[in-house]
Amino acid sequence: MNGKKYLENQIPVFCIHLLGMCLLSLFLLAVGNTIHSVLFIFFLWILLFGCSVFYFYRKRKKELNSLIELAEQLEECYLLPEIMKVPSRAEEEVFYQLMKKCERSMLEKIGNIQRERKEYKEYIEQWVHEVKTPITAIKLLCENQKNSFSRELLTELEQINHFTEQALYYARSEQVEKDYRICEVDLEEIVHAAISDYKYLLRQKHAEITVDVMKIHVYTDEKWVRFILNQIIGNAVKYCIEEPKLQFFISKRDNLVILSVQDNGIGIAKGDLPRIFDKGFTGENGRIMHSSTGIGLYLCKRLCDKIGIGLQVNSTEKGTTIMLCFSVNDYIKEIQI
Amino acid sequence: MQYKILIIEDDSTIQKQLKTLLVGSGYLVSTITDFQNTIKTVQEFSPHLILLDIKLPNCNGFELCSQIRAFSDVPIVFVTSSNTQLDELNSIMLGGDAFITKPYHTAILLAKIASLLNRVYGREPLERLEWKGVALHLEKGILEYGTQKMEITKNEMKILYYLFKNAGKICSRSDIIDFLWDYQVYVDDNTLSVNITRIRDKLSSMGITDFIKTKHRQGYMI
Repeated sequence: MNGKKYLENQIPVFCIHLLGMCLLSLFLLAVGNTIHSVLFIFFLWILLFGCSVFYFYRKRKKELNSLIELAEQLEECYLLPEIMKVPSRAEEEVFYQLMKKCERSMLEKIGNIQRERKEYKEYIEQWVHEVKTPITAIKLLCENQKNSFSRELLTELEQINHFTEQALYYARSEQVEKDYRICEVDLEEIVHAAISDYKYLLRQKHAEITVDVMKIHVYTDEKWVRFILNQIIGNAVKYCIEEPKLQFFISKRDNLVILSVQDNGIGIAKGDLPRIFDKGFTGENGRIMHSSTGIGLYLCKRLCDKIGIGLQVNSTEKGTTIMLCFSVNDYIKEIQI
Repeated sequence: MQYKILIIEDDSTIQKQLKTLLVGSGYLVSTITDFQNTIKTVQEFSPHLILLDIKLPNCNGFELCSQIRAFSDVPIVFVTSSNTQLDELNSIMLGGDAFITKPYHTAILLAKIASLLNRVYGREPLERLEWKGVALHLEKGILEYGTQKMEITKNEMKILYYLFKNAGKICSRSDIIDFLWDYQVYVDDNTLSVNITRIRDKLSSMGITDFIKTKHRQGYMI
């Protein structure tokens, strides 16, 4: 509370007091009091008035400060009326009721938005599930009648499938609740599954693939890792001028299992590296390839953060290596033995 | 014996194509068109395996599964486009044997069906393939011709397996490579040529010539 302003607000009260004093002194003088005793009363009144202003100022300030503190401690500040003391003064009560009203309308709005978001997420999920039926139908149709035309179609279909998955994971990553299941999975199997998701694209681009992943088990969510690997493979093929060469290999460091994916693409500019996981960031490569969206890697990072996978990138002009670091939990291992 | 597979799926295109695929792999296939009497059809057809979609008209796959489980232990493969953890868990709890999400890779679907059938009905997997006097031992990795034997590598084995499976038919190079990719051998055109040459060398050292014929612009044939 600003002291000066408080004093300013007291001016009308002070004026009334002053008027009262003047009238009183006139009256006292008229009934024959000496000027000294009148001045004495005058002085006493002013002193008393000053003290009371100061006292009330201090008291109010203390009360209001504790309220501010309370509001600052609250995570959702708009819930303040719920926990603050109900004021007893007439004026303050009005403000309190107003605050309550604000809170109610705020809560209503938040509730609406949350419900809308949930419905939207559910719609996206449902949409993805529905679009998978025709995708499956096209895929079966093409695989039953393989020729160069259906192969081209299958390549495009793989992209469509990945984009729909992207939408699904995007919708899910926005939500706080978990949608994953951590269990023991074989990294080699996931790598092969991820490659098979882009089989026709890789074949079309004459990609050279080396998988040097021994049977190694980590605890993670299979589908999420597969999606992340899909994104990495898709990027490797997209940002590549020659025939793509993809290398998958495992290394171990301390209690980390690192799955690296190395490509021979155009690489990522040094200046862009720190920002490649930012939403919507496309950087130097985005200017070369016009179909960059800046969503893929952002999503990978979000998913990795959620299930505790470290995501690292090394890049030169000769290619990019993306590393997924799974931590090996000794505790789980010991239980198993 | 031919295994009978029942497809419970409401999308007609998928139904038809899945049938084509499975018939092509040597299964006897029936599909359900009337979802009112599904259980009756299951009892009448008594399949060796059921492919079951979760979202169906009038009922859902989970209910059907528990109804079927009431009278039969037939292996049930859930095939669905929903890939939430809850659905997967539900399908296992209700006695489903496998859970495959759409869009599936046909190779993986077929492999899963074959392994389930083998596990449940305990039939020996194919060990030996023969064509024109040349025999292929799958487990030992050996080519046999008369009394001669020749060891072959894993990749050569897979190529030969595909050719033997399609004996008498022309196999296009793309189809062979597709097949190899499904079995996690990521070869390209050149590598395939090299492998074919090597196989031919091995065959001719056993005295077999012209076993693998090259059909110009079409592929290979045995």
